[in-house]
Amino acid sequence: MIDQRVYEMFRDIGRDMYVHNLVSSHGGNISVRFGDRILIKRRGAMLGRLKPHDIIETGLEKNDSGVALASTELIVHRAIYKATPALAVVHAHPRRAIALSLTRDEIVPIDNEGSYLLKKVPVVSVEFASGTKQMADAIADALCSYKIVFLRGHGSFAIGQTLDEAFQWTDALEEAAEIIFYAKQLNEEMIEYRRMSDSYSKW
Amino acid sequence: MNGWMGKLLVVDLASGEITTQPLDMEMARLFIGGRGLGARLLWDLVGPEVEPLSPENVLIIATGPMTATGFQTSNRFSVTTKSPQTGTVLDANSGGTWGMRFKRAGYDALIVKGRAPHPVWLEITPDAITLKDASHLWGMTVPQASEALGQNKNKRNVLCIGPAGENLVRFAAIMNDVSRSAARGGVGAVMGSKNLKAIVVEGDLRVEFEDKDRFRFIQYEATKMLKANPITSQALPEFGTPVMMNILNGLGALPTRNFQQTHFEHAEAISGEAITEQILIDNDACWACPIGCTRVTQTSRAKGEGPEYESAWSFGAACGVADLETIAEANYLCNELGLDTISAGSTIACAMELSERGLLDSDLRFGRAELLLETVEAIAYRRGLGDLLAEGSYRLAERCGVPELSMSVKKLEMPAYDPRGMQGQGLLFATSNRGACHMRGNMLGLEALGVPKLIDRLQVQGKAGYVILNQNGSSVQDSLVACKFANIAVADEYFARALTALTGITYPTGEMLRAGERIWTLERLYNLREGFTRADDTLPPRLLTEPATGNSAGEVSHLEPMLDEYYRARGWTHEGVPRPEKLAELGLAELAEGVL
Repeated sequence: MIDQRVYEMFRDIGRDMYVHNLVSSHGGNISVRFGDRILIKRRGAMLGRLKPHDIIETGLEKNDSGVALASTELIVHRAIYKATPALAVVHAHPRRAIALSLTRDEIVPIDNEGSYLLKKVPVVSVEFASGTKQMADAIADALCSYKIVFLRGHGSFAIGQTLDEAFQWTDALEEAAEIIFYAKQLNEEMIEYRRMSDSYSKW
Repeated sequence: MNGWMGKLLVVDLASGEITTQPLDMEMARLFIGGRGLGARLLWDLVGPEVEPLSPENVLIIATGPMTATGFQTSNRFSVTTKSPQTGTVLDANSGGTWGMRFKRAGYDALIVKGRAPHPVWLEITPDAITLKDASHLWGMTVPQASEALGQNKNKRNVLCIGPAGENLVRFAAIMNDVSRSAARGGVGAVMGSKNLKAIVVEGDLRVEFEDKDRFRFIQYEATKMLKANPITSQALPEFGTPVMMNILNGLGALPTRNFQQTHFEHAEAISGEAITEQILIDNDACWACPIGCTRVTQTSRAKGEGPEYESAWSFGAACGVADLETIAEANYLCNELGLDTISAGSTIACAMELSERGLLDSDLRFGRAELLLETVEAIAYRRGLGDLLAEGSYRLAERCGVPELSMSVKKLEMPAYDPRGMQGQGLLFATSNRGACHMRGNMLGLEALGVPKLIDRLQVQGKAGYVILNQNGSSVQDSLVACKFANIAVADEYFARALTALTGITYPTGEMLRAGERIWTLERLYNLREGFTRADDTLPPRLLTEPATGNSAGEVSHLEPMLDEYYRARGWTHEGVPRPEKLAELGLAELAEGVL
């Protein structure tokens, strides 16, 4: 039985992700880890319109009937929880960041908020970029060192202690990507305002 | 050698022999330093047959790789031993300057064995390491002994016990830099049992770095975090830790009158705001700390440091006392005599309830501030009723036939957060390896302050995961050794990157926290070897049955479902024993052989 407080957390974050254009109608997924259990969005459910029955409970290690209902990316969420100290995972399809991931191996924010919060977001590339073990392992491995990573051409995976926190990294990334776009469109020389800014790409 | 100094100093007080031995670098990689290193060394040195106050117990004082690096709050050290108060593994941790100086003397840890035939003190200088007669120091208060031994914050740092440690008070502290304390669980009593009055250090060696430029960049980014966070840049500097008083009272989670209520009607009078307005004369800071939460205060009768939040609470709300000056003076007295303020105040609070119920023959009553100072002194010198109170609240209440009136876990008095108003905090207290403790993964951030984000404080489902993450994180902080206040603003990933740049050993954030899990699990194994069981992972019955007041009115702690979830999430059995696969995963299987 899902605690009402937990449902409201899923509902609010899911709604915000859709409203912020971080996912399309049925894209993205979110989950939390409670001990040896995972609560994850139902496969095919709309993040912006989650109902209590859209929150599926299943095992972290063991399969049960929940896997028939859970998000396609359950395998990735499980791998992340097993490899990292995360208690929440947010997977989104932020559009400008996806575009940037097609041209670079890391997204290094140039705005203050992005630099302050994220420093650098590595871009991971795998052949089968949806719901595969290869992809799950690559993402989980990258999240051992970073709180948000990007799967090239697909989307972001962010971890946190809470959904709120993982959502923050996701939203901050898309904001940083948008600013990179604007700065590029200006096509003028950037005036660096950050000390040791060269070090961000080594983060 | 990067990060660590690579050497342990071993002093046998019985024989007077002083030796050095190399630091086992594999042990350092796995257990980091400080508390982790201490626990690992204690595992080998002190088994279940050893009485805590016997010569066979050891006192381990350990720094960590981050100590003395200049990273924010890298001043701390850890004292590990078997606790005379709880019988569990124990480490108590302190800031100040002494830890930095000890490491700059060239050592990662000091292991003190045996018992000296007469009182001695240990002097560590670049020229010599010497045990000296301390007969003339025995009986001195902490300020007296510190002055006699030449305390100089910038050159020569004194760590010592006061009369409470000499008199084996079960919650005696070890003090350094006059008023900084490694306080909990009776580390001072162990030092006293060894006839060791003081350890004085001088040293100016420097820590070496694998990649100093990278380390300094991470430090620079951490500075931004500390400056931007209102807790570390405003609340703590302006009000100190007592800033929590009104916040906790507002939540209905401020334990009052020995936890009979959870709201104190006079909280405002003992709050951080009141301290700043009425008695604060200066701020101070530990070495390399940009926060500066130390309160230098003055009452109409005395001057000193404190009170911290826990001390203002233990002599205040816990005792039903709203007299701020007396509370501050009780804190000064604890510092001078070398006592843990949490256990001192809480034990007095317990005695007050016992007296009010007619179970203890004393004049102590809730609200009687005028009795606090004389009671603290009686405890330190074990005079009259003080001799009984010096045993701590559990043994006191047990003697009166009602051990359930001791607000403790594993005989260690609970700190200033009522588990009925913060469900996760209750699970934390129940499962803490050294007994009830807020410094072993405090849920304050998540359940009250919103660090990193606010979660529902009354929620039960899912709380175990947060507690475990915090416990593992605190194990790391205590092993680096760094201050948990820095960790409010500076996330674990900064520490992991700094540790990597410092040592050259790659510690992804998850791997660093895995070391924290390893340390926590080793401590669990230690306690299991001592005979502790699931039955010890509990809370006083009052918290499970008597409803809270104030803004948590009607709430009780829902410990059992959280405890079940906690054991499962930790990979332990229903009885709280780590499963073989978990031990193998953490590299502890060999160590645990023959124990479980």
